[in-house]
Amino acid sequence: MILGWLRLAFFALIGLTVAYFLVSIYSRSVRREKLEKRWKAEGLEGDRDAWIEAGMRDYEKGLKKRLLWLIYIIPMAAFFAIIYFINWH
Amino acid sequence: MWTKIKWGLRLLLLVLAGLFLHYTLPQRDVVQIINTYNKLTPIGSNWMFYSIEDSGTGAETTATTRDIRFIEAVYPDGSSVMVYRNEDTGWLWPPYFKWDSSTLQAEATNYKTDKANPQWVAVTHYGWRIPMISIFPNAVKITPVAGPDVTLIPWLNIAILVFLAFILFMVRRMWLQFRERMVDPAIDRAGQAWDRVDAEADVARARAEGLWGRFTGWLGTWQGKPRK
Repeated sequence: MILGWLRLAFFALIGLTVAYFLVSIYSRSVRREKLEKRWKAEGLEGDRDAWIEAGMRDYEKGLKKRLLWLIYIIPMAAFFAIIYFINWH
Repeated sequence: MWTKIKWGLRLLLLVLAGLFLHYTLPQRDVVQIINTYNKLTPIGSNWMFYSIEDSGTGAETTATTRDIRFIEAVYPDGSSVMVYRNEDTGWLWPPYFKWDSSTLQAEATNYKTDKANPQWVAVTHYGWRIPMISIFPNAVKITPVAGPDVTLIPWLNIAILVFLAFILFMVRRMWLQFRERMVDPAIDRAGQAWDRVDAEADVARARAEGLWGRFTGWLGTWQGKPRK
């Protein structure tokens, strides 16, 4: 099938997007839990929800959030590496 | 009983996963190539162990009979042999993305030697040789090696297995996090709601018992005396 690569790209896109969303939900949840624990451990005073929301906004802009793109990048890099090493190297 | 069934199923799942990985992951044999040829090969119910029919020679010939390249090799012990097929793998599974079986066949033929002065090669392949259902491992790469006794460390397989273990570990972590943060609080809330409902039900029941009790008592007054 000439369009084999299209089929692969389609399935890969679906699979990786599901993985990306699941991991980003997980990562966000871990960060929120960490913030909640820190609030408690440091005995901070004031508006707890606002403080946590500020922490979450920092997270959304941070490096860790961006590293989640590796979920797309690593399989694609592996794909091209396999093609190279099997067919040309 | 149920625990035995549960553990049995888990064991079965583990064995299936192991077999699947053993079939799919690349392995290297140190062999001497003794012959290469093409053969029209009928493919029937064992199609699962051949390439997807829309790739390689499968696309060029028919779905039931395919012109397949084969490589015959002998192990360093001099007597045990192996027959590899040499097929393109297509786009989906197994993910080797091999399109160079013609080139590989030429390389194999180039490395073909006789017993007197053997050229030892490492044949990277996946799959199994099972004569009963006529299936052959698929060779994906041939590299010359120094001699029959070289030690090849399967770094790639180690890396893949470590990566898979990491993914399993993360899936477990994600599930636990989901349960801790989403499911347990929901159950707590539901439990509290249930307690509330339950308490109200208790009150209602007590009231009903009062009413109902009085009502059945009243009904009872209409019954005759139990007959003797």
